Amino acid sequence: MTVASTKAAAATLPRPRIWGIGRYDVAGQPVYVEVGWDDWRRDVAWARAMLADHGVGPGSGLVIVGGMAESPWFDPFETAARELGAPYSIGEIYAFEAFRTGMYARRLPITMIFGLDRTVAEGLGDELAEVVARVPVIVARPDAAGLLTEAGAQPVIVARVGPAIAVECPHRCGAHLNGAEWTLAERGGELFISTAGPRAHQVRQAALGLRGALADGPCGCGRTGQRVTISEGEMNP
Amino acid sequence: MPDDRFFEPEIETMPRASLAALQEERILELVPYVYERSTLVRRKWEEARIKPGDINSLADFTERVPFITKDDIRRFRDETGDPFGGLLCTRYADATTVFSTSGTTGDATLYGHAWGRWHPFWAATARDLWEIGVRPGDYVLGSGFKMRGPLYHADQMCGAIPLLVNTGIGGWATALDAIRRYRPVYAQLTGLAMAELDHLSRTNDMQELFSSFKGAAFAGEPLGARARAQLESWGVEVYVWTSTGDVTGAFECGQHDGCHAWEDCVLLEAVDPAGSAQVADGELGELVATSLDNLVTPMVRFRSDDIIRMTREPCGCGRTHARFWPVGRKGDETIVAGNSFVPMDIWRALEQVPQTATALFQLVRPAREIDELRVRVGYDPDTTTSVPELRDRVSEVITAAVGVPPVLELLPEPELLARGRGGKLPRVVKS
Repeated sequence: MTVASTKAAAATLPRPRIWGIGRYDVAGQPVYVEVGWDDWRRDVAWARAMLADHGVGPGSGLVIVGGMAESPWFDPFETAARELGAPYSIGEIYAFEAFRTGMYARRLPITMIFGLDRTVAEGLGDELAEVVARVPVIVARPDAAGLLTEAGAQPVIVARVGPAIAVECPHRCGAHLNGAEWTLAERGGELFISTAGPRAHQVRQAALGLRGALADGPCGCGRTGQRVTISEGEMNP
Repeated sequence: MPDDRFFEPEIETMPRASLAALQEERILELVPYVYERSTLVRRKWEEARIKPGDINSLADFTERVPFITKDDIRRFRDETGDPFGGLLCTRYADATTVFSTSGTTGDATLYGHAWGRWHPFWAATARDLWEIGVRPGDYVLGSGFKMRGPLYHADQMCGAIPLLVNTGIGGWATALDAIRRYRPVYAQLTGLAMAELDHLSRTNDMQELFSSFKGAAFAGEPLGARARAQLESWGVEVYVWTSTGDVTGAFECGQHDGCHAWEDCVLLEAVDPAGSAQVADGELGELVATSLDNLVTPMVRFRSDDIIRMTREPCGCGRTHARFWPVGRKGDETIVAGNSFVPMDIWRALEQVPQTATALFQLVRPAREIDELRVRVGYDPDTTTSVPELRDRVSEVITAAVGVPPVLELLPEPELLARGRGGKLPRVVKS
């Protein structure tokens, strides 16, 4: 098959130095995030564990709502879904593309929407209540949580936290950070991040322009690392 | 193994006879597979009194197998509730991804793939990026929309590093910073991106910005003459690409003499748009596609509504796979008060007016034959001082192009852009 021959050709080339580069902004200034291949592989493993906690496996169906520029944060969840045997579809993060997320939820046996943000939630309009009623697990960005709660959902939170991503487990008591990779600090309500793992992107106490609160201590899911609650939504989506 | 010239030299330059033999082998495997599994295919074939045993060659296939249209898929879906319109040959759970067509001309159609490390749609695109000049260690602006999945797989397969920054609507100002910093060699562009770049060109040295580029691909809709000239003035070599009925991508090569279809992925035909006969190379025909490497939702003689000219003559680049030139969409021809025109006529007219030169417009057409020419036009609010004067000028150029004065709805570009779907603005709408 075609992909086999192309894959064989690709395998003869030097692998790129890193998996890719993303970007987030703090106070209007860009911060570029290099993601190494080993970083990406560990991110996939962590994403896989988080999705599995929510019951994702063979027979699940996901809509992952994220833009191309969010791939450094969201591709690990896409790859994890593939590895867990759960088919996934992509919903774009524009209001005019909200119909696509709604269409997938309506036509396919979707068990989780991952990454739903306020723009798409609002873009769904009257269909939002139907989507909420159909889809058992909605993993939402902080800015969509209120809207989804009003629509009858009990959203699980996923938040981009600078170069990292944090996701709530089914206990919904703060979004777990991958503590092997990142450490957060909170000063005066503002969040700062440091790299903990052997990542390509190394930062120390970098301001994120995000307001939030941290919780430590064991969670009902058994994880012991930091959990974060973004209090005023992402300021640098 | 890639060489300086081709990513997969043996496949890309395969003699036509070998290519036909490969296609026949795959078609003869596909025929019983889809008949057993695709409920829509089985229904269509039973209506046509065709069985897999009747198909013993490529010629049998193209002569006897019935076409499938988008309407067939929609009708089957509406009748049965099957979200895949009878195309699914596996269980839903066996798919890795399920994506959908842009939905610009109606309800989006679902299509699935099963794959391991690399998405097959984008894997074949690695050949095209290699042709453009993407090489190991290069940075690639991983631009575009994600509704069709991880297109950066093609970058990574070439050994390049995707630079995943916002190049969606409103994102190009930030993307310019990334271009300055990383000096990428390639990006994907759309008409919506060109509208933004047009504005940014007033305050940025675009020639300097794009000086690291070996090329940029443009897709989603026709590339207007003004946009092409603009890109060329910035020193960007433009490679138009399109899809083959959503089966694979098809890119121009450095000869810019048609888009190469990868015929080991797709069986490409051009047929009489009003009938079923194959048209000769070079004549106008409707693109008909059959998937050769998708076991989840293989398209079988799918009529795409895309009007093309095709040739199987070897290209000057050395590749042997068929090339085609997109001409338009079937049914886009409109008749108003006895005058016939296509959307490109309005496009060219609007390019003449500076405030509408990005040619963002929609032809509002409830039917193919209309009494009144209604056009929704986007204008640049930053350079428009008088909307009534602009209305007169736009009316003048459209009347000259089409022969009928239009009824105009003028909107600031951002308002019109918000009506886009799947990275493009539907050019023909019902309301």
